[in-house]
Amino acid sequence: MGELCRLQQEHMTEQPTILLLEGICKRFGALEVLRGIDFTAKKGEVVAMIGSSGSGKSTLLRCVNLLETPTEGRLVFKGEEIAFHQTAQGQQPSNPEQLRRLRSNLSMVFQQFNLWQHMTIIENVMEVPIIVQGRGRDEVRAEALELLDKVGISDKAKNFPAQLSGGQQQRAAIARALAVCPEAMLFDEPTSALDPELEQEVMKVIRDLAEEGRTMLLVTHDMGLARDVANKVVFLNQGLIEEQGTPAEVFDNPRSTRLQQFLRASAA
Amino acid sequence: METFFGSALDYDYVGAWAYITNGKHLGWYASVRWTLGAAILGAGFALFFGLAGAMMKRSRNMLIEAIGSGYVVMVRGVPDVLFLISFPLAFEVGIETLLAYTQCTLEERAGVLWPPCVGAQWALSDIEYFLMASVSLGLVYGAFCANVIYGALCAVPHGQIESAIAYGMTPRQILYRVHLPQMWVYALPGLSNVWLLLLKATSLLSLLQIADIVQWAERLGAPNYFSFAGLVHGDWRWRYYLVLFVFYILMTMVSEWGFSKLTRRVSRGMATQGGGDAG
Ligand SMILES: Nc1ncnc2c1ncn2[C@@H]1O[C@H](COP(=O)(O)OP(=O)(O)O)[C@@H](O)[C@H]1O
Ligand SMILES: [Mg+2]
Repeated sequence: MGELCRLQQEHMTEQPTILLLEGICKRFGALEVLRGIDFTAKKGEVVAMIGSSGSGKSTLLRCVNLLETPTEGRLVFKGEEIAFHQTAQGQQPSNPEQLRRLRSNLSMVFQQFNLWQHMTIIENVMEVPIIVQGRGRDEVRAEALELLDKVGISDKAKNFPAQLSGGQQQRAAIARALAVCPEAMLFDEPTSALDPELEQEVMKVIRDLAEEGRTMLLVTHDMGLARDVANKVVFLNQGLIEEQGTPAEVFDNPRSTRLQQFLRASAA
Repeated sequence: METFFGSALDYDYVGAWAYITNGKHLGWYASVRWTLGAAILGAGFALFFGLAGAMMKRSRNMLIEAIGSGYVVMVRGVPDVLFLISFPLAFEVGIETLLAYTQCTLEERAGVLWPPCVGAQWALSDIEYFLMASVSLGLVYGAFCANVIYGALCAVPHGQIESAIAYGMTPRQILYRVHLPQMWVYALPGLSNVWLLLLKATSLLSLLQIADIVQWAERLGAPNYFSFAGLVHGDWRWRYYLVLFVFYILMTMVSEWGFSKLTRRVSRGMATQGGGDAG
């Protein structure tokens, strides 16, 4: 591969749609967490999701790679409709092969990093390309080293996650996410578990990725980061998209009182 | 020989050495192979049944889950002595009953159910008794292992499994690549307890007519009288049993050492006390 699955920086006006969500609802028992979300992400787009705690941001992100199965709604990935069928426990994905394809193309970065504790950093990065994607070990190792270098922790390749600082762990998790050559990356509050100084080093990596033209869905509580990296900002409120638009529209001209309140509270 | 407490100089060292290296004593020492063999083989079976039982307990299929839970609950409740003596017998009778269908003529089968015709009788050899004892130990202590492993599987933080799911691993890959490797660090303390219980239970092997170290000690220690030599020694069983105590304590110490090595090995990187300073 060598080329590091680098993205060609095309400057076409119309990019293909990577993700399309239509009427996504999610209930946990009686609790309605998502109440009909429509949403698209085009190739190269960085979509920031903001909203108060409990508004359903994580749940929405987890519905995209089906860590949570939406109770209702359609999910289309690169023009391919994800198949569901009804069971006694509600809707379930019906094609495991398709599900795995979707998941290995959407890499997720978690708030708590979730690096595999029993593997070294380089093993963490190499695991999915080798085990899930079936690629050759040598090729993957070379690429993994390159990725660790890119996120600035190549000296930690042989360490275990527990031996790294939070910021380093999160950068390792980002390297793991990049190693699968994802169509889109899903970030769930990647800096929330970090001290302010460590936050910066992770944010820098995310900014670089945005500049490279990576497709990203980024749940964040950091309005500065959202404004900097996003092409599109989505404001979630009580399970609905209350407002969406360019960072300028959302941050400088919030229309709904909810969003105005939220932005005031976040600035404070 | 009765100079055991005599002064050190008077003591007949040569005679004592000759005594403890005579044929019978060498037989005793060699019988350690049964004890250690049953312990190691039994532990292998116990681990196998433990893993299988724990997986079954976690199954979504209610029938499989019930079988796993039933095994753990029931077998843990049966005294190991009882199980050890009844399982090989039941197995033997079962096999003989099956054999009777192929080996015995109809007439032979007609009247009496027991004993079966000669062709279907199965006299267990030492090695067969030994294997059955190992399986019995495995079954009994496997139930304890199953519970320990079940708890350990539950203790693996959910985030570890979740990231494996999120990256598209199959359930089998998740099990072998993440869940089982991370389980050991939580399971080892419990498994080391089970191992010591199992090790001690090997002292019951003589119940199955296996000439193990306990049976030998009993025989050698019994008052020893020869018509040509008179009384060789009186009731020395306590001395022989003392040697067994020391043997089992030594084995325990070796086990503790082994488990601490293992713990260090499996907790590499794990953010637990054992793995915090792993290098
Ligand atoms: N697995 C779950 N079971 C029950 N309730 C859940 C579950 N996951 C999330 N919730 C609930 O859904 C709501 C939205 O949660 P979440 O999506 O995590 O919000 P956010 O990420 O915006 O803070 C919360 O009220 C939370 O308690
Ligand atoms: Mg959240």
